[in-house]
Amino acid sequence: MQQRRTIDQIHTNRVLLNGQLDTPKWWAPTVIVLGIIVAIGFFMIGIMVNKGLGVTGLSRPVYWGLFITTFVFWVGISHAGIMISAILRLSQAEWRRPVTRAAELLTVFSLLTALMFPLMHAGRPWRIIYFILPYDFARGIMPNIRSPLIWDPVAISTYLTGSTLFLYIALLPDLGNLRDRTTGWQNALYTILSLGWRGNPRQWKLQTVGGILLSALMLPIFVSVHSIVSWDFAVTPAVEGWHSTIFAPYFVIGAVHSGVSAVVTMMALMRWLWKWEDFIRPEHFDALARLLIVVATGWLAFTFLELIFAVYGLDAPELALRELQIFQWPWNILFITFVITGYIIPVGMWLQKSVRNNIALMFWSSLFVNIGMWLERFLIIVPGLARKTPFVYTWESYRPSGLEWFILFWSLAWVTFLMLLFSRFFPLVPLFEQKESQTFSDSIKIGRVKVPAIVREAD
Amino acid sequence: MASEAIHSGAQADAHSGTHEEAHHELPARVEPDVITSELVASTDSNSTGVRNWMWILGIVTLVGIGVGFAKLLIEWGDQSEWGYTAAMVAFLFSVFGGAPLVAIAPTLAKANWVRPVARFAALCSLASIVCTIWMIPLILNLPMLVVDGARRRSIWFEGPDVSPHMWALVSMITLIIAALGLIYAYAIPDFAAMRDHSTGWKQRFGSWMARGWIGTTIQWRTLRLRIGMMGTLYFFTFVFVHFVISTDFAMSLVPGWRDAIFPMYHAISSIQAGLAVTVLGLWAARRYMGMDKYLHLDQFWSIGRLMFAFTLLWGYFFISAFIVYWYGRSGSDKMWIDYLILGPYFWVFILGVLFIWFTPWWWLIWNRVRRSYNGTAIGAGLILFGVFLDRVRLYVAAWAVPEDRIHERFLTEYPSAVLPDVMDLFIMVGALAGCVFIVLAATRVLPILSIWDVQQFNLLYRPVNYMRTKVSLIGKPD
Amino acid sequence: MTLQREKRDYSWGMVVDVDKCTGCQACVLACQAENNVPLNLQDRFERARVMSWIRVERYWEGEFPDIKARFIPIMCQHCENAPCEPVCPVFATYHNNEGLNVQVYNRCVGTRYCANGCPYIVRFFNYWEPVWPEAFRNHLNPDVTVRSRGIMEKCSFCIQRIRRGVRNAERENRDVVDGEIQTACTQACPTDALVFGNFMDEDSKVSKMKKDDRHYTLLPHLETDPNVVYLAKIDTDKSAGESHG
Repeated sequence: MQQRRTIDQIHTNRVLLNGQLDTPKWWAPTVIVLGIIVAIGFFMIGIMVNKGLGVTGLSRPVYWGLFITTFVFWVGISHAGIMISAILRLSQAEWRRPVTRAAELLTVFSLLTALMFPLMHAGRPWRIIYFILPYDFARGIMPNIRSPLIWDPVAISTYLTGSTLFLYIALLPDLGNLRDRTTGWQNALYTILSLGWRGNPRQWKLQTVGGILLSALMLPIFVSVHSIVSWDFAVTPAVEGWHSTIFAPYFVIGAVHSGVSAVVTMMALMRWLWKWEDFIRPEHFDALARLLIVVATGWLAFTFLELIFAVYGLDAPELALRELQIFQWPWNILFITFVITGYIIPVGMWLQKSVRNNIALMFWSSLFVNIGMWLERFLIIVPGLARKTPFVYTWESYRPSGLEWFILFWSLAWVTFLMLLFSRFFPLVPLFEQKESQTFSDSIKIGRVKVPAIVREAD
Repeated sequence: MASEAIHSGAQADAHSGTHEEAHHELPARVEPDVITSELVASTDSNSTGVRNWMWILGIVTLVGIGVGFAKLLIEWGDQSEWGYTAAMVAFLFSVFGGAPLVAIAPTLAKANWVRPVARFAALCSLASIVCTIWMIPLILNLPMLVVDGARRRSIWFEGPDVSPHMWALVSMITLIIAALGLIYAYAIPDFAAMRDHSTGWKQRFGSWMARGWIGTTIQWRTLRLRIGMMGTLYFFTFVFVHFVISTDFAMSLVPGWRDAIFPMYHAISSIQAGLAVTVLGLWAARRYMGMDKYLHLDQFWSIGRLMFAFTLLWGYFFISAFIVYWYGRSGSDKMWIDYLILGPYFWVFILGVLFIWFTPWWWLIWNRVRRSYNGTAIGAGLILFGVFLDRVRLYVAAWAVPEDRIHERFLTEYPSAVLPDVMDLFIMVGALAGCVFIVLAATRVLPILSIWDVQQFNLLYRPVNYMRTKVSLIGKPD
Repeated sequence: MTLQREKRDYSWGMVVDVDKCTGCQACVLACQAENNVPLNLQDRFERARVMSWIRVERYWEGEFPDIKARFIPIMCQHCENAPCEPVCPVFATYHNNEGLNVQVYNRCVGTRYCANGCPYIVRFFNYWEPVWPEAFRNHLNPDVTVRSRGIMEKCSFCIQRIRRGVRNAERENRDVVDGEIQTACTQACPTDALVFGNFMDEDSKVSKMKKDDRHYTLLPHLETDPNVVYLAKIDTDKSAGESHG
């Protein structure tokens, strides 16, 4: 799996720091274009806050729509970081190394984006501060901790804090590296940020211990975040199709599926844009695709169970909902697209070794996954609301307005914008991980064959 | 050279249970010839006290089967009497059926530590034969799909009336075939070793089973492919059997119990129990079969870590179901909590949670515990007991629901607790003895550690000096 | 697990005799006028954002020509075990000790979670700032808050009338007389299909009607324990047993 490849440290430094020390030409124009889109998006949100939620396509009883779907989508994407850097770190998978930073970054920025969606989705966003920061001490009314909407900000902000710390700890050695290679204001910035990193054994030890501890502590948070998001839906018996015990693990595994796919998309872009062919190699895509096959198949099993046990009760409203969700126009098209793009195309492709090692194909297949996963959330949230209960007077449909679509598009641009901004000042591939992996790879001679080997410290 | 290496390895292990420093002592490598001769010799039943044990276990098994026949004649048609048998079958299937996954998953992920473990884990799957035998009385007592002219809730919506019965049998038989295939796929090189290094019927049997194995590159490649295929087949059958057993033999018997996560919950605790039984088996192999040369802390530590992870996962899957019901508060939601949790089996539930989740969690969380043979084994014992209690709670409660209430939207009056009678105890002990017997008998033919896997483990592993410490170098062939 | 009803003076509730309902929609109109519910103009129907604290649902039963129109008025059921209450993050909806499910407009931030939790779909969201034609401005009920955009609203059992009735009785040092407090819909109902009263009072009309053999609640399997009780339709041309539901 690990191809032997010796890359000396000078080359590593030179290539991986090209984003900061030798900014590519395409960087500035791209950031400006994205910045304009982001500004328009904020303006649109402003319009919505000013006019009211009437500008969306929501109705009664479809009270939750594209914003909540996109919120779940971004929270799902955010599961990539901890999956890659914590779980693979604890299970000592070597191929994680070049991917870790980018995955954590995706976690942080997608969480930031996800947090905005419930805010703009609320009827009076300026009041929502009340349940994030309960200020109303005088009347003694604290937020209702029984509400999953209280669990949400708690879980997500914990996750965000932890991820940021995790990202920062892993950034320290590289900041020290940058400090030594810059001058002027940049040097001052890196000097402050690197917290006096000199790379002595004690600092390395603390940095490693910090990373491992955070990985272990982040794991329960990682699981809890998307579970809690799923309980936003699952605790409600009133909505057909929501009240299912499988939701928490189903959402988590779906999140890993979409998050890791997003990391694959990003890795391909990084390889192309910054020309990091030596560091982000086909073997990394291969390993990620293998992982994704397992995750996707597990996720499919959960999807299957969810459907089977929805129909299992043979309740008329539930059957009506599934009829709508799977067989009726236009949901049937969405459903088919969701199954094909979420599982059939990508996993069918990844089963071939040639695809797993082809960067362009991996890029497109991973994009498909995220189209499918967005549709999955949409298909869970909206048809359930549209067909809630036996009262046929209140069956409705939902068509998102142009503004909602634009805000979805804006969120993609916004995350990319933040990423690019970050890439200007901080390396996207951890230099020290790259160097460490060089030290840890070795080979064993068995008979006439040289077998690649890795070094494991005694436990 | 070889004997020296063995000597230092044995010394290191002798200390490792107690001394903190001993952990940094890496296990010594063993020469391939020694492995072959020792492991082939280990299948000889005269050399150990295994023979007496096999007699005892065999007799208990037969007594259990006899009592089962008697019960079938005496208590024919009374569904609630078979709750404990159902619980035992579910338990044994969970425990022994889950063990092979311990071998399959890390093998596919190319982990080196799993190699000495794989054989024993795969042999456990033989117990599915015992489970299938004990499933027959259950199938005979399971209500039909159409009760009183109306179709009851089940996963076989429009299927034929005998669907649950039929699919239980079909899936179990597929599982047996997959298990035998898996064991055989793993064992071909060992049969060849048996052919070359033993005498009498074993030599003849080995040469017949080895199918001309001489270890060419193509043969090795086919072997890996076969293991991969049989492993995947076993895994999917395993998941399907859990789906069938957990719904047909528990969930669909209780009106209003609609729990999408239940099959997964069942499978998760099965893997947890499979890990636990593997640890116990390895512990026994070290202790009583002299395998301490080949089984090191690395194996126990790794399985212990997985066991810890699955213990936490059990908690997660349980909470996922619980919170949805607790919050939902609709009629069927309350039924689940009031009958299956707080109801007649409340103390079984409390004890079950204690042993399946809480105690192993706070026991296995300590690195010190997982770095000791006995500590890991104790954790495994706790988990097995917990899984047993969990199955008793779910299956006895499910089988206690009278057939004439199966069409209710949800259960409103709860049947009182069913206690095991003497026959149930005989049946349960007999079934357990049968499973242990069949695994033990298998180790009289095939060595409890796979010869070729142990050899490869040694080939791909080098203790080396790195600066001032010692590290291990592990080969990762493509 | 059912929440125990505590001892209290009032437990307001309503009994709806479906047998008497003619589907005339007078209750809908009365409610609209009493509670300052915004006008449902064409675009609200088109976007499915109609607000109507009480609605009369019409179902067809049977095949032509043997066809019957069924009417059932549905408003907030004021469940004792309300699914909308625990999900609100800011306690904007909660259960008071008079059996009412109350909505506090000032607290509401508009997450619309309660509306998802409600199986009866009787909660309404203000997508726009409510606007009345100039001529209607002076027709607004001064006792009822006009809800701004971005918050939820629903049937309050005309809480302003309940408060006034209780206050009057307290001032006159007497108990509330049965029938003294009327909600707008019960007042407007020409056939007395809707009856409002106090379930705590054993002699009240609602308490007696509730004991009728025909009584049922909506979506009973959810065990929401509603304070609105329905009395089933009687079909004169069928035997009584078949008519439930």
